[in-house]
Amino acid sequence: MSDRLEIRAVKRLPGFTLDVEWSAGDGVAVLFGPSGAGKTLTLQCLAGLLRPDAGRIAVDGRVLFEGGRIDVPPQSRRVGYVFQGYALFPHLSVAENVGFGLRDRPRAERETRTAAVLDRLGLAALAARLPAELSGGQRQRVALGRALAPDPALLLLDEPLSALDAPLRRALRDELRGILREWRTAAVVVTHDFTEAYRLADRIVVYDAGRVVQAAPRSELLWQPASESVARIMGIRNVLRGTVVKATPDRIQLRWRGQLLEAVNSPTRSYLPPPDSPIAFFVRPEYVRLIRKDRGPADPSHHMNVMLGTVVADEDFGTTWSLRIRLDAPGAPAQGDYDVEVEVPHLVYEILEIDRDRRWEFSIHRGSIHVLPA
Amino acid sequence: MTAESLSALGLSIRVAVLATALNAAVGIPLAYVLARRRFRGRALIDLLVTLPLVLPPTVTGYYLIVLLGRRGWLGAPLYAATGWSIVFTWYAAVVAATVMALPLLVRTARAAIESVDRDLEKAAFTLGRSEWRTALEVTLPLARNGILAGLVLAFARALGEFGATLMLAGNIPGRTTTVPLAIYTAVQTGEGGMALALVVVLTMLSCAVLVAAARLGARAA
Repeated sequence: MSDRLEIRAVKRLPGFTLDVEWSAGDGVAVLFGPSGAGKTLTLQCLAGLLRPDAGRIAVDGRVLFEGGRIDVPPQSRRVGYVFQGYALFPHLSVAENVGFGLRDRPRAERETRTAAVLDRLGLAALAARLPAELSGGQRQRVALGRALAPDPALLLLDEPLSALDAPLRRALRDELRGILREWRTAAVVVTHDFTEAYRLADRIVVYDAGRVVQAAPRSELLWQPASESVARIMGIRNVLRGTVVKATPDRIQLRWRGQLLEAVNSPTRSYLPPPDSPIAFFVRPEYVRLIRKDRGPADPSHHMNVMLGTVVADEDFGTTWSLRIRLDAPGAPAQGDYDVEVEVPHLVYEILEIDRDRRWEFSIHRGSIHVLPA
Repeated sequence: MTAESLSALGLSIRVAVLATALNAAVGIPLAYVLARRRFRGRALIDLLVTLPLVLPPTVTGYYLIVLLGRRGWLGAPLYAATGWSIVFTWYAAVVAATVMALPLLVRTARAAIESVDRDLEKAAFTLGRSEWRTALEVTLPLARNGILAGLVLAFARALGEFGATLMLAGNIPGRTTTVPLAIYTAVQTGEGGMALALVVVLTMLSCAVLVAAARLGARAA
């Protein structure tokens, strides 16, 4: 897969410096990170709306920006931009908005193309409406249609779902995903919501404070964040710190809160920290297993990394319960007043009567302890 | 109504219409540039345009004489070349009214242009529009009501202009006497009936203009 999009950009602003370099192939690249990390600035550099101090931007081998020598104006970049809040022209109809970028084409072609785009996005019946008369989802489609109609080489979307209510957001996230896949335009999407990033992306570029901290295919990012800080930016829960006991290419033994834990080492990374060095790792709350008391003592062939603790707090998330468990081990708990967050489905919570019974043994499979390189 | 007052009324409307047209031609581009561009001298232009709003009109009129009078910075070369001077002609009334009305239009139009979402302009850029086309197709249409309200205010100001007009154009009956000047003259010479008639006409015109401006403002909001 050759890279369709390459960007290296440095932009100094008062109190903030953007200094990023990444590339993307076919499909959707998502810029993910906290607000103020420089994601929108990057989109503006790509679109030619903001001029970097230094760097190089190329799309499909066509150089759009280079040092002080090349700076293609936004009008000639063939880059479609879907703005946060959509920025539809409020005084123009849906059809006029979608046809806005086709002005230099012959009238007949312009009308055919506009009609085709409206039809493809299911907007044909709304052609004469004004943006104020549309629902949030319809506005999003008009904004997409307007950006896609001139057949851009690259499509940029800035927080495309943030203007919508939560229930609509989820439906439109999948609709947007479908449209991006169907149109096969290389796209860059900005979001600060990891679920959104994961659903839309082929490749995720993680931003923090004006820099790229990791760029990887989405599944690699999910299971192998490059560092503890990436894991925290992704909102991963149970990011913990222990001490290395022994590391081999297959396994890492570590000590944490008085427990000896065994984790799988990633053979692709062959991360071999020396004994007694600090090590960060994470455990997804839904991968912690409570051990049922009505089935006899824990079977060591099924359960490893067994610990005992007390549920000190629980929260109902509708379909799941989040339990905060504090170990019996002496010393301060790892995460404020608890050590591990455990997520169980509602049914399990009810069957095990967790609301009454607060003392639990639990286990974590060695494959569910993910070691984070320092 | 007497022929004199009818002539004053006709002149006033002609002056106000022309001054409003000049305001549109100069003030709208000026408002756009002040709202959207950053350049050296921007603050100075802003100050010069706004000054007639706070200066006594006679002071503005004095500056206009300094600029356009027979011995003025612009007036002297013009007089030397053509033997003609704008001072004491009805054109001078148009110039005075234009300068006095300009800050009202520029300030109103500028605020309207500044309130247009810049993302709309950026969207137009990425869709291939130059800044010029974007201003014509996006920014100005969206600022339209504010600009129209500014033009209405400018028209009203031009209609009622007195001090600067008197300084630059004088008060020559039948030639440069506009309604406000005619009212002053009528009161000075004890023609109470004529003064009252002109006052009523001017008040009604101004009320109509204010109602129009309020409607435009309500639609703009």
